Amino acid sequence: MPTDTAKSGGTWPVVRRFLLDNGALTALAVLVVFMSLLSDDFLTAQNLLNVGVQAAVIAVLAFGVTFVIISGGIDLSVGSVAALSATMLAWLATVEGVPVYLAVPLAAATGTAAGLVNGALVAYGKLPPFIATLAMLSIGRGLSLVISEGSPIALPDSVARLGDSLGGWLPVPVLIMVVMGLITAVILRRTFAGRAMYAIGGNEEAARLSGIRVKRHKLGVYALSGLFAAVAGVILASRLASAQPQAAQGYELDAIAAVVIGGASLAGGVGTASGTLIGALILAVLRNGLNLLSVSAFWQQVVIGVVIALAVLFDTVRRRSGSGGAGTGGGAGAAGGSGGRGRRLAVLGGAAAVTALIVGALSFLTPDSSSEGPRVGMSVSTLNNPFFLQMRDGAEEEAADAGVDLVVTDAQDDPSQQADQIENFVSTGVDTMVLNPVDSDAVGPPVRGANNADIPVIAADRGVNDAETEALVTSDNVEGGRLAAQVLAEEIGEEGRIAVLQGTPGASASRERGEGFSEGIAEYGDIEVVAEQPADFDRTRGLDVMTNMLQANGDIDAVFAENDEMALGASAALSDAGEEAVVVGFDGTPEGFEAVEQGTLFATIAQQPAELGRVAVRNAIDAARGESVEEDVRVPVEIVTEDNVDDFS
Amino acid sequence: MSSPEELLRIEGVRKAFPGVVALDDVDFDLRRGEVHVLLGENGAGKSTLIKVLSGAHRPDEGRILVEGREVVIRDAQDAAGLGIATIYQEFNLVPDVTVAENIFLGRQPRRFGFVDTKRMEAEAAELLERVGVDVAPGAKVRGLGIAQLQMVEIAKALSLDAKVLIMDEPTAVLTTEEVERLFTIARRLRGEGVGLVFITHHLEEIADLGDRVTVLRDGRSVAHVAASEPEDELVRLMVGRSIDEQYPRERPEPGETLLKVRGLTRSGVFEDIDLDVRAGEVVGLAGLVGAGRTEVARAVFGADPYDSGSVEVIGDRLPGGDVGAALGAGLGLVPEDRKGQGLVLDASVEENLGLVTLGPSSRGGFVDLSGQRSSATRIAGELAIRMAHIGQHVRTLSGGNQQKVVIGKWLLAESRVLVLDEPTRGVDAGAKVEIYRLVNELTASGHAVLMISSDLPEVLGMSDRILVMAQGRVTGELSAEEATQDSVMSLAVAANPGTSTEENEVEGR
Repeated sequence: MPTDTAKSGGTWPVVRRFLLDNGALTALAVLVVFMSLLSDDFLTAQNLLNVGVQAAVIAVLAFGVTFVIISGGIDLSVGSVAALSATMLAWLATVEGVPVYLAVPLAAATGTAAGLVNGALVAYGKLPPFIATLAMLSIGRGLSLVISEGSPIALPDSVARLGDSLGGWLPVPVLIMVVMGLITAVILRRTFAGRAMYAIGGNEEAARLSGIRVKRHKLGVYALSGLFAAVAGVILASRLASAQPQAAQGYELDAIAAVVIGGASLAGGVGTASGTLIGALILAVLRNGLNLLSVSAFWQQVVIGVVIALAVLFDTVRRRSGSGGAGTGGGAGAAGGSGGRGRRLAVLGGAAAVTALIVGALSFLTPDSSSEGPRVGMSVSTLNNPFFLQMRDGAEEEAADAGVDLVVTDAQDDPSQQADQIENFVSTGVDTMVLNPVDSDAVGPPVRGANNADIPVIAADRGVNDAETEALVTSDNVEGGRLAAQVLAEEIGEEGRIAVLQGTPGASASRERGEGFSEGIAEYGDIEVVAEQPADFDRTRGLDVMTNMLQANGDIDAVFAENDEMALGASAALSDAGEEAVVVGFDGTPEGFEAVEQGTLFATIAQQPAELGRVAVRNAIDAARGESVEEDVRVPVEIVTEDNVDDFS
Repeated sequence: MSSPEELLRIEGVRKAFPGVVALDDVDFDLRRGEVHVLLGENGAGKSTLIKVLSGAHRPDEGRILVEGREVVIRDAQDAAGLGIATIYQEFNLVPDVTVAENIFLGRQPRRFGFVDTKRMEAEAAELLERVGVDVAPGAKVRGLGIAQLQMVEIAKALSLDAKVLIMDEPTAVLTTEEVERLFTIARRLRGEGVGLVFITHHLEEIADLGDRVTVLRDGRSVAHVAASEPEDELVRLMVGRSIDEQYPRERPEPGETLLKVRGLTRSGVFEDIDLDVRAGEVVGLAGLVGAGRTEVARAVFGADPYDSGSVEVIGDRLPGGDVGAALGAGLGLVPEDRKGQGLVLDASVEENLGLVTLGPSSRGGFVDLSGQRSSATRIAGELAIRMAHIGQHVRTLSGGNQQKVVIGKWLLAESRVLVLDEPTRGVDAGAKVEIYRLVNELTASGHAVLMISSDLPEVLGMSDRILVMAQGRVTGELSAEEATQDSVMSLAVAANPGTSTEENEVEGR
């Protein structure tokens, strides 16, 4: 009877066995094959190195999280701790003048200390790991904003060189990723600490009763995770040549996804370094490939989600079939085997079908290249905001009019994703690039890469520091801030109590508009700014912060919000509280105009985002054709009130 | 072909899993108003058969008839609809919900769309009275003892109007007194016409409660006999050979005192415990569940703290609450909850055997992998652990072999004093004897063993001396010669003037 099962499938069972045993690896291989079939640019040495660089930060974070997950915990704080450590390094080295050979260990110590606090809260404070590290997520982010005062800090050159390549081809981040991976593997497989992690994650009480000092080990596990986060933070900062207080937001979830895709169980006791590396590579290949294929930025997120689910599903199937075979070893029955095998094959078939679906969708979503003109790449800081959507729409209109190919990517407000996208543009050989930077400093190093490749870059809305751009197309934010102060002051009779809703701390638009507004308002001695709080350019946050301000300060005569979204939130808060105040916004989004028309907003400072996009693309095309372009292009801003709103909407 | 008295019939049922045939051509039947015992070693297929009846597994071949009608049981709902209720060893109760809600979980009586708590609790109270347990319907399940939990499960089954009640080893975790109470209820249900399927490893319970016995061996139903069949014959049917001696205790001359406990006290749990265990000696710790035996064992081992008193191992006084110090001094604990506290179930035999020696044998933080492997392989061979290979996950081993792994890790650590807490719970008859032989070998080589057991014949058969605990105190010491079931029981229920605890503590958590 047992031979029955073995004979029936020929070589297929062997192949199937291997595929199932290496679920994540198979998924990676499938992805690589499909990507190289779909894009000629994918399977080049340069691009593969790009993938490595792009995987490095998540991979190193994920190695740290692997320790935690194997020992049955979770660490949500790694993204924040990475940003905190990098900020610490930059602040010590640049602001405080501490020598680099001291600053780097101190940055590592910062990460380790954050991890120790996590560990102490979990092991001795008996907090659930989810809660303890969630607290640290917020604390770490807050501290890095405090230290940096909200602005990016430049890194000393010696550290920034970590983002470069050795011998001109081996990127240091890739090297660090490999070394950290090896360290992780050795710790997990060969050291007492590592073996103890598996025992604790598998059965904490059994481990304790076997003499393993569980609390001490947990402390160590979280400290290790913090240390790895610090290393990841330094790599991230070195790639961007500056430490961003807002860097690595949401990376903890990518890191956890990488660990789980790599075959670890969130229940603890299972996981490997190699699995985690594969998990991180899957995410990086996917992002890189989708960039190369110019898949719509929105669809990219859908595809990434589907692939994460599929990869883990694959692994679950593997484990289920694995446990069946490990019985006590009676006679294998053909009837019994076929039922289980049928189901597994069905799941495998399902997975294959979904893969085919994705690939089909990808080719469908990939725009056809038809025109003869130059290919233009455009990286937008975020498409989660109507302003930038309008900028994109303007850019696309201009491209269509000129008959050129335009590829738009969404950096999701993450400087490192934007760096990836720029590198991908360079390796796919676009002729010119429009860049709307998430952060002016951070975008420097990748733009230098484009400079080296002689690809002209046009900056839109925000500038690029420490690299060459052909032109900068902006609205004048500082001037806009001044105009806002003026119109607001006049409306309230040049006296009263006002509040300011600031944008994302550290974002350049927030800095410039705030600067202009402060200068403008200072001219009116009878106006008092009673509250000034960030609401992250977000409408809901604007509503909440405004509500709190009203609670704390009572009557307010006017509010200046650094964008229309927050202004709309603030006016909602005012009407909820039954208060009336003059609200002035910024940007001139369609909803902003509508609100001005209805009188909910008194005024907004209209930028013309679509015009920004159009002008930027026009300049880019000109630059690609070797025509000279003006270096500083200003798209006018205007005060929009009820009187002139009809001219805009 | 079926009589009106027949509730359930299974014919030629076969169930295979990849690599294993769990059931092969099994026949079984159950009549109204009888207790039908399912007997077999662990792995004989009893659990699979129950799962087929409760809808957790579907048979590959064969027929199931309920009251003469052929049925297909797809899931738990189907089983409930047919009047089949199952009480597993691990209870299906939600700890932080009231007893009444647990009984009516998913079927709470409703009024205007809201749960009618009053009616639910009244109905629950009625059911609880029927099973003769004194628990308030509004009490949270978390605070209940094991016996009470079981009664709540039975009440839940009754609320479903179960005609067939399947009980998987219900007595394994009960004290003698509680077993008697369970049997009273089982007899009453039998009188009411309910058919009971009863699984047990305690042979003496069969004649006491059962009417008929079906013996399973290697997935086949090998015999259908009357419950009055002699125990020897039942064992022979079960293991396919006869076990000459149930308790093969050899008693070597005891040596020096290895474990010395004086005045050990944790307020409200146990008080003023004195005990000595000498090299080559097995000291039994008997008593009712909740008498504080496990708590004493854990305190001695440093797993839990104590308030006062002292513990000495081979002359060294141990600091309290320090597992590391205890095992460094040569003490080992085989906990009562093997799966929950003794093993990392999803780790290999090798890793579990090496758990204690992992730290001490590592050099410069690095684990001595090859040394760990060779010593694990050696000890697995000495203990005759039945496994496919040393890398097999312990989850897939039988109960007896799992227990050998737990004991084995202490042997590797060269512990000279072993505390065995319920070492044969959930272990089948054949493997029990192997564990007893292992205890013999240990004492013969100069180890000292402190054995907690709720199985009276086992305590009597294996101990050289017996300490009996009641309500947190040692109420008496008996030598092997003078101890009888009666003398131990009378000490175990002895009223204790020093304490005024009203209810027994629940063992474990």
